[in-house]
Parts: sequence; structure tokens; C-alpha cells
Amino acid sequence: MARDNRRSYDLRIMLAMVVYVVVFMSVWPTVRSTSEPLVKLACALAPVPPLLYVLWVMALRILRSDELQQRTHLIGLGVATLVVSIVSIVAGFLAAAELLALDTTSIILVWIFPLLIIVYSVARGYAARRYGGSALCDDDERMPAWQRFAFGAGVSLFLAAFVFLRSGGNPAVDVIVAMALVQIIAAIFFRLRYVRAQRRPPP
Amino acid sequence: MNNHLRRLRELRSWSQGDLAEQLEVSRQTINAIETGKYDPSLPLAFRIAKLFRQPIEAIFEPGKE
Repeated sequence: MARDNRRSYDLRIMLAMVVYVVVFMSVWPTVRSTSEPLVKLACALAPVPPLLYVLWVMALRILRSDELQQRTHLIGLGVATLVVSIVSIVAGFLAAAELLALDTTSIILVWIFPLLIIVYSVARGYAARRYGGSALCDDDERMPAWQRFAFGAGVSLFLAAFVFLRSGGNPAVDVIVAMALVQIIAAIFFRLRYVRAQRRPPP
Repeated sequence: MNNHLRRLRELRSWSQGDLAEQLEVSRQTINAIETGKYDPSLPLAFRIAKLFRQPIEAIFEPGKE
């Protein structure tokens, strides 16, 4: 089975992320201000197509992986499914017991997909490491991890600036800036590790 | 399961990347097989045997039970 072009995969995922953020920021504020049901529906579902594209690209990547990579994907997806299922059922019970407000419940639902992707990535990285690979697959086939984290930090800072300019003291700004800082620290860490790895002779 | 993949590869002066390309798998998979962390599927084992023109049992042998 042919291997996917990993660098192209990274670029496509990043492009989809940018489209998602731009669509979300430009369309979402209209959802609560409009009373027209069709416009509301269109605005509410506008961020979904970039996410579907991400799922499509991920599915292609898994299909084009070799047998060991498919095994690590399966482990990652299995762990992510378990974690997200537990979080969902706990949130469901809390909401049914009216310990969570409806607003909080909808926020939890929006975070299910990112949680799935994060847990899947971490679990898959761990599984790859158990088989002797790199947790973040820094090799010739892929964009280095530090570049991916730097890109993520850029997107987060852009998002934070947008939210800040739009709604001033919104508490979401602090969360997004904290996410950006974590990504910047990760980018510096992986950049240092990348430079060290470049100096080592190939196996 | 033990294997002689690294020795066979080095006899031909191939890098892990060269072998991975010929077998259409990732370099990480070759590394995992060579270090005994992963046992390949039967189809991949046959591809390896065909590439090195050796019977499977000459490349792979059962490890300690």
C-alpha cells in the first residue's frame, strides 16, 4: 500500500484548521443575533465542513498507512473512544441531574471532537514510541513537530487577538493565550530536540 | 520471534529507508521489525523473503516460548 505524503497531510490539516477558525470567528457571532431559522441553521453548521474535511484526510492517511502504523492508529482510536465515552457519559449524568447548566452542556459537546483528536494523538504517539518510533514521528516524511506547534501557537494567538478585539475581557482569551503559551514552549522544546537529532548520524 | 533482517540488509548496504521504500512500508516499521519490537504479518514476511530471495524460515525463527 502506498504511503501518504505526510508533509502534504500536515499542510492540509493546518489549512483546514485555519479555515475552521476563520469560518467559526466570522459566522458564529451571527448565530445568536439572528432570528431567521434558516440563517441560524446555516451559521451554526458552517464550521462543520472543515471538520469533515479533516476526518476525510485522516481516514485517507490511515488507509494508506502500513500495517504497524495502522496498528498504532487503532490503539490511538481505541483509547480516544474510551476516554471520550467516559467523559460523555459523566457529562450526560451530570446534565440529567441538572448539575450542569444547558449552556455548559453545549460547550462540553463542542469540546468532544477536539478531546477525541488530542487523546487519539497522544495515545497513538505513545503506541508508536512503544514500537521504537518517535512519539511525534519526526522523520524525513513529515513536517517537524516544532513547526506544527509553532503553527498552532500562531493560530491560537490570532484567535485570542480576534476574541479580545471583539469582546474585550472575555475569559476565553485567557484560555486561548494559555494554549498558545503551551504550544510555544512545546515548539521550543521540539526545536531543540530536532537540532540535536539532526546532528546524530542516520541508522 | 527473532529475525536476521538487519544482517541481510547490511549485507546489501541498504539503509532502513532503502529497505522501507522497496517494501512500501515506513522506516519505523523496518526499525521495529529489526529490533524485535514488532512481528510482521505473513504477507509482509513473504514480501521480505521474496526481496532477499530466501525462504521465510531462513529470515524469521521462533523465539523462546
